[in-house]
Amino acid sequence: MKRHTYVALLATLMSASAWGQEVSLYGTTMAQMWKQETPGFDKATYTPATQYLGIDATKLGSDNLSLHLFGWGQADLSDATSFDGSKSRGYLNYGYLQYRFNQANAEIKAGRMTVNQSTGFEQVDGISVRTDLRGGFTLAAFGGKPVLYRTVNPVTQSDYDFQRDLIFGARLGWRSGRAVEFGLSYLQDGTKAAKDLTFPSATDYTRKQMGADITITPTSSFDFRGRTVLDMASHPAVAVGATEPSKIAEHDYTATVKLGSQWSVSGNYAERNFFAYFAGTNLPSLFRQDEKDMFKGWGGKVTWNTTASFQMTADYRHMHRESFGDANRAGGDLRWDFNEKSVLLGVGAHWVNAVDTKFVDPAAPYRSLSHREARVWTLVTRGRLSASLDGIVQRYETGNPYLAGMKTLYEGVGSLGFQATPSMKVSGDISYGSNPVAKHETRGLLKAEYRFGTAKKGGK
Amino acid sequence: MARKTILQVLGIVLGLGMLVACGLVSPEASFTATHPEGLGAGKPVCSECHTNDVAKGAMKPYASFDHTPTFVQDHRFQANQDVNTCATCHAQSFCVDCHGGKVPMKPAIKLSDSPERMAPHRGDFLTLHKIEGKLDPSSCYTCHGRANNDKCRACHR
Repeated sequence: MKRHTYVALLATLMSASAWGQEVSLYGTTMAQMWKQETPGFDKATYTPATQYLGIDATKLGSDNLSLHLFGWGQADLSDATSFDGSKSRGYLNYGYLQYRFNQANAEIKAGRMTVNQSTGFEQVDGISVRTDLRGGFTLAAFGGKPVLYRTVNPVTQSDYDFQRDLIFGARLGWRSGRAVEFGLSYLQDGTKAAKDLTFPSATDYTRKQMGADITITPTSSFDFRGRTVLDMASHPAVAVGATEPSKIAEHDYTATVKLGSQWSVSGNYAERNFFAYFAGTNLPSLFRQDEKDMFKGWGGKVTWNTTASFQMTADYRHMHRESFGDANRAGGDLRWDFNEKSVLLGVGAHWVNAVDTKFVDPAAPYRSLSHREARVWTLVTRGRLSASLDGIVQRYETGNPYLAGMKTLYEGVGSLGFQATPSMKVSGDISYGSNPVAKHETRGLLKAEYRFGTAKKGGK
Repeated sequence: MARKTILQVLGIVLGLGMLVACGLVSPEASFTATHPEGLGAGKPVCSECHTNDVAKGAMKPYASFDHTPTFVQDHRFQANQDVNTCATCHAQSFCVDCHGGKVPMKPAIKLSDSPERMAPHRGDFLTLHKIEGKLDPSSCYTCHGRANNDKCRACHR
């Protein structure tokens, strides 16, 4: 979308909020400062100022029509924080009109929005609809132009733009009482495959995916849900003797069992084949389809709520990546709240054991990925004042080449806040840490959060 | 003439389709737009009040929406199937805290004064991401695969 069209649309949408009988305007203003001294680079002082702004205007002429806008802008007051040297930037995260019907949970949205009705999680400039149908069916659909980011190589960006010209998707669900829900969904992102271009592109940015999801909740104490996603796009034939990539992009299933009021046990299995799963990426150097790699993971979590104010969680996950081997992650978290949640305290520790990972770089034959992590945090609220502390320590194996000779990395953040009025809070943070980029790093942050208006629903 | 005929046929088909579709729409009243009572601080456990109830519209036990650690970490299916239920308490801006598409800073910095929220990328994630990416790059993909990549591009060209 051209810039002037964008500005005109935004101005129209914002002025429309004046018609709302309930308008809520909320924002966060943040000022950060840190200095950085990295070997091989000039010293730099960064002072970015960031403004988040959102508007929710409801009852626009009709009780059912509403407008929702949210975006941010950022300016560097000293050295540029972006890699291209620019000192200002901004973005509209969403801006849409919504009409919510009184019947059938039906709604229509038009504008920029995030859609997740099908297999993807997409930002779209377009329209989306959903409704309940008779017999327990539900229908959701969307279509429009995908929101693209100017982030790939300019040479291939044209292929990316050209292929991803249209995105649409739909999900048809069926609910049977309270026990079962099935869903079938389809997503197509782009209409021109790489092989169909005048000069065929090296990367195919289009996606055609079919998904099937299921939810089983026969009782309040059991919940099973998940989905399988298939790659429906046609790809060039593989070379003779090469393995055909799997058409299964993803399996992801989770079961949760509640044992009484205190115990909860959940298990998850996930499998993703990168050739199919990474289709449509705008960063093919990172999410590499050509690796034809595969990930499998399974694990579980046990939660124990001993009382209303104490919670203990233990978790374990086994991860297998075809190219790098196996790793295990395990750990636990404790969480307390006292005095009606005016004092919150959390402690957590996790271990990652990756001794079975294969060599990934001949120049550095052993890269241990194993590490341990511990975190302690607290949040105290007393009247209008609030204070928090958050410390995290990561300890790695000796000889990890990612760490520039360091073994222990840490960061601590302290924050003090004051609720000046019911609709305004100011706070300040200071953090100190040590990491491979900056052996000593101190950062400051000032923040003002405010919310004005009459709308009841907030961001919490 | 042929084009006019095609448009007429298309109009009739669309009109009939709309009539049939309207007949298919559920006659049930919509789920409430906002939660009728204010909720206390912290993560809600819906089933504490809604014992043995089924969420209207979602047609699932309220316990399915209890904000347990598993739910907080893996709520995409609930958001996919029952976004109306989420919307009774959460404005879209709540989702944007983590799922903004393109954001100026990592969620852990934006929410640095709320350590109780499980904001991703706390601490020196720049170092850790090299390891997490080796273990499971598909976990990065949901947010960074087609979205917030300006910083990624500095190294991953």
